[in-house]
Amino acid sequence: MIGKWRRQMRNWLTNKMGLPADILMDLPRITMIGQIHIYIENHRGLLSFSDKEIRLLLKQGQLLVKGETFVIKTILPEEILLEGKISQVLYLDE
Amino acid sequence: MKNQWLNYFSGSVKVEIKGRGIERLINACLRNDIFIWKVKKHNEYTASFYMLLKDVSKIRLIARKSECKLYFTDRSGVPFLIKKTLLNSGFFIGTFLFLLMIFLFSNMVWNIQVRGAKPETEYLILKELKKMGIERGAFQFMVDDPDTIQKKLTDHIDAITWVGVELKGTTFYFQVVEKNQPKPEKKIGVRHLVAKKKAVITNMFVEEGQPLVSVNDYVSKGQILVSGFIGKEGQMKMVPARGKIFGETWYKSTVVLPLQSTFHVFTGKYYEKHYLSFKNISLPVWGFKKPTFSHYEIELQKKPFRFWRWELPFFYERVIYREKEKVERNYSWEEAFQKAKEIARKELLSQLEDDASIKGEKLLHRAKENGKVRVEMHYQVIENIGIPQPIIQGD
Repeated sequence: MIGKWRRQMRNWLTNKMGLPADILMDLPRITMIGQIHIYIENHRGLLSFSDKEIRLLLKQGQLLVKGETFVIKTILPEEILLEGKISQVLYLDE
Repeated sequence: MKNQWLNYFSGSVKVEIKGRGIERLINACLRNDIFIWKVKKHNEYTASFYMLLKDVSKIRLIARKSECKLYFTDRSGVPFLIKKTLLNSGFFIGTFLFLLMIFLFSNMVWNIQVRGAKPETEYLILKELKKMGIERGAFQFMVDDPDTIQKKLTDHIDAITWVGVELKGTTFYFQVVEKNQPKPEKKIGVRHLVAKKKAVITNMFVEEGQPLVSVNDYVSKGQILVSGFIGKEGQMKMVPARGKIFGETWYKSTVVLPLQSTFHVFTGKYYEKHYLSFKNISLPVWGFKKPTFSHYEIELQKKPFRFWRWELPFFYERVIYREKEKVERNYSWEEAFQKAKEIARKELLSQLEDDASIKGEKLLHRAKENGKVRVEMHYQVIENIGIPQPIIQGD
């Protein structure tokens, strides 16, 4: 109940005060450079990884990136920089 | 994100993992603050990544709990480089020793060449040099500079008039001029001997020429003593007159000497400081204390280091502080008079030639005037008064 109210509050704050949504609402910030790089902040851990796809845990749901010849350039507790040829970025709800 | 190139210094390893649950292991790594990069999956059960060398102990703990096995396949970075270097250390020590040897040998004296000296003199010179520490194998920055060597050699060895000292690379060249080298005989033109100054003749040794005066004669300045014309009237011949005419001459000298005077003398105590210097920067090597002397004189010796045949911009500096002492001299009137007389005599002797002697002295006048004594002396001197005067042949 309180959690829901807090989420609504944050949503309202983001809309009314123009604060960045990724900080207030713990959403992932995804930066892509063409097909070759994808930089994801605010992830919650690695679920599965192969050279064809990577699955990341988010605060809500999961993120699935598909492509070819994936290499994780850097991985930090909340950031990941992926290199390869990216073809799809998908959000999966639970 | 961290700067990747810094990892080069701390060292990194490539890890291959085999087994199930690779993702879990990676997540565990993240949670334990293990920095990993270039994660690659080769197939379902193998993957590889790079990590820092300092985290290896941490990942071992984590891997023990997981179902994977770790293999370290590649090592790179400075720590491994050092390890490798240590294995090859012999090579580096060799290189260093080689450079050191060239450096040391470039700063040594390798050869001493003495030219223009007889074997005896050469032996004497070499002996004297050895005393000064100049011999084969001596370090150049330990020995005196050429000017000092030159001065010492000419001072200590009587047989040489002049010695040229040159340091070329690692060789000392000595060019010697010996004293008893036969002088080319000068051709003396025809001449008279005339009196240098007024005198009373005391002794005559005429080798050639016609004496015109005799002992106990009074002569005035410019008077002909020995004539260059010999022979009878009408058959005159001209010769260069030679000989020594001793006469009694008179000198007057005045000396003024203050009763009280101060001057500085060296006490013989000294303090040395050694520096290695580069341009204006000097690095003390030995002698860090300040000299405790209140009065001193500073002597600076600076020598460049050499490598092969080049002079390096590094210098070896020796600074010598010599202690000075202020000495006050006080004379009583009587002492001052005595001293003044001595000084007058010494001064006169230094002016006279070697074969002259002082026959007698007389005190003409002495006076005390504001802290000084003034002494006037009169000397009788026996000296050679004959000086040559060439005969100018008009026709």
